[in-house]
Amino acid sequence: MLTCREIISTLEMVKNENLDVRTVTLGINLLDCAGPDPGDVRHRITERILSLAGDFVQLCDGIGQKYGIPVVNKRIAVSPMAVVGAALSPEHLVDVAKTLDDVAREVHVDFIGGFSALVEKGMARGDRSLIAAIPEALSATERVCASVNVATTRAGINVDAVLLMGKTVKRAARLTADRDGVACTKLCVFANIPEDIPFMAGAYLGIGEADAVINVGVSGPGVVKKAVERALAADPAMDLGSLSELIKKTAYKVTRVGELIGREVAQKLKIRFGVVDLSLAPTPNVGDSVGEIFQSLGLRAIGVPGTTAALALLNDAVKKGGAFASSRVGGLSGAFIPVSEDLNISEAVRDGHLCLEKLEAITSVCSVGLDMVALPGDTTEETLSAIIADEMAIGVVNNKTTATRLIPVPGKGPGEKAYFGGLMGHSTIISVNNGSGDNPFIRRGGLVPAPIHSLRN
Amino acid sequence: MNKAILSILGRDRPGIVASVSRALTDLNCNIENVSQTMLQREFAGIFIVSTPREMTADDLHREMDSSLSPLGLHVYTKPCEGGEDDCVAQGAEPFVITTKGPDRKGLVAGISEVIARHGVNITNLQAVFKGGADPGDNIMIYEVDVPAAVDQQILANELRAKAESLHMEISIQHRNIFEAINRI
Repeated sequence: MLTCREIISTLEMVKNENLDVRTVTLGINLLDCAGPDPGDVRHRITERILSLAGDFVQLCDGIGQKYGIPVVNKRIAVSPMAVVGAALSPEHLVDVAKTLDDVAREVHVDFIGGFSALVEKGMARGDRSLIAAIPEALSATERVCASVNVATTRAGINVDAVLLMGKTVKRAARLTADRDGVACTKLCVFANIPEDIPFMAGAYLGIGEADAVINVGVSGPGVVKKAVERALAADPAMDLGSLSELIKKTAYKVTRVGELIGREVAQKLKIRFGVVDLSLAPTPNVGDSVGEIFQSLGLRAIGVPGTTAALALLNDAVKKGGAFASSRVGGLSGAFIPVSEDLNISEAVRDGHLCLEKLEAITSVCSVGLDMVALPGDTTEETLSAIIADEMAIGVVNNKTTATRLIPVPGKGPGEKAYFGGLMGHSTIISVNNGSGDNPFIRRGGLVPAPIHSLRN
Repeated sequence: MNKAILSILGRDRPGIVASVSRALTDLNCNIENVSQTMLQREFAGIFIVSTPREMTADDLHREMDSSLSPLGLHVYTKPCEGGEDDCVAQGAEPFVITTKGPDRKGLVAGISEVIARHGVNITNLQAVFKGGADPGDNIMIYEVDVPAAVDQQILANELRAKAESLHMEISIQHRNIFEAINRI
């Protein structure tokens, strides 16, 4: 028999604290769709995705309804297109992106990830073609997401690829100048990209994965914030150790929901269940913000002194609670701080509490990195590459995932607003201090060697 | 061996279960199941007991009543038919239906009528009506078993329509979600 308190507290989490499953992502292996004929490749990709994902969205919604927990996003992640389309030209890869966009629309998923390349140690022909295709592919499609892994702890940083990504980001922004450079919101540059991220824009299905897999991204910043506020109302003198325990327990509950629903979707589709990604993922809605948790913990805003320590505590507690709740944890698993997608974080930028340097600092203790950061439109390719290289260095040296999703907003300057629409949100443009002028360092290119602690064998 | 079921009602205070069980022991009855609950200040207990072969349910009632009525406790007794779980539908799925809304007459009647019409069995019901218009003060929680043959979508739609007509919020969720969140 359930107790009244168990039932009421669960209902509160769903109704008033935005408890939901942020994404159920169906990974689909497309490696055997490869071939030299672009028409054949596109045909095989369409057939494969339709055969596996035809009922996917309907099924997720039905299961969400059964448990009274919304499955907010249903998405697809596919094998890296640089491998599947290795034999194709950039123009043909743009066509492949359009095919992915069409099939995503047909099966009603809002994003499809995997227009991706892994180039941490060097670029092959397919990788070069794919990166060349990214700006056109992202501006000609709505739902396709791209990611490029340019660094790992084992391989170091491929600065040639970093330079190329600076150019690519800039060109993607230019091609969507009429929409504040929205193509860049679908492009991540990674260090140590995991093979099983369910969250966009970084989701792709790793080369080591099976034919199909279900990965789940949980949510719950609103639930964590309310739990902290309730506890502090009951005991205003609560110390950080006790708050960490509280967040841990809350993360446990949130993760159990994701695990339950993910397993049921996998079972119904007769696909193996992959991982739960234990990330606090915000949306641009009030009450569903990671930034607000900082305020609940007692900071004036995210960005003020104490922010890095608070995020370290939060991230650690989320992982510990989640790891106990799920049998398989993967993906990014940490707190996200996507500036434009989190209303509170974007306000902290507007009010001057959060600058680019502080954002970079806090990425050393959380997942992702400089995520959804709107930069002035005149930020040069070289400066973009240098910012990417800095972020990659944090990931490589700390043996963790970092990424950048930078949007140099065409025609706009610091303090102006950029609007990306929907889940991508909007943000005040953050200034890049000391970013002007030449940067011969980054222009040298080449490989930054792997750190000594990568030699672990 | 015969079985009987007794229900005991009375104003709650320490010692009720002790008095009932002492009286049963003195009659050479064996307690198989007990469930007790309190609503506001009132005690209610249900006892399933095995009785000596020669004892009828009427005998048991007479003896228990004479022991317990001086203590202000009311006793009801009936023979208990054997067999367990014979009304549980095969392949039923457990759901929890929760409502909140301003208090008025007919809330339990309205919701339980829909539940009954679909052949859904209520396995546990907790309801608190403190009165007034605050929805949080007036809550019903039904744990139900929905047989596999029942269309969950139609049941849910009818329950939602009924709740709306009674100005209540309603949630219908599979029980597993509560287990997953609250229990290890």
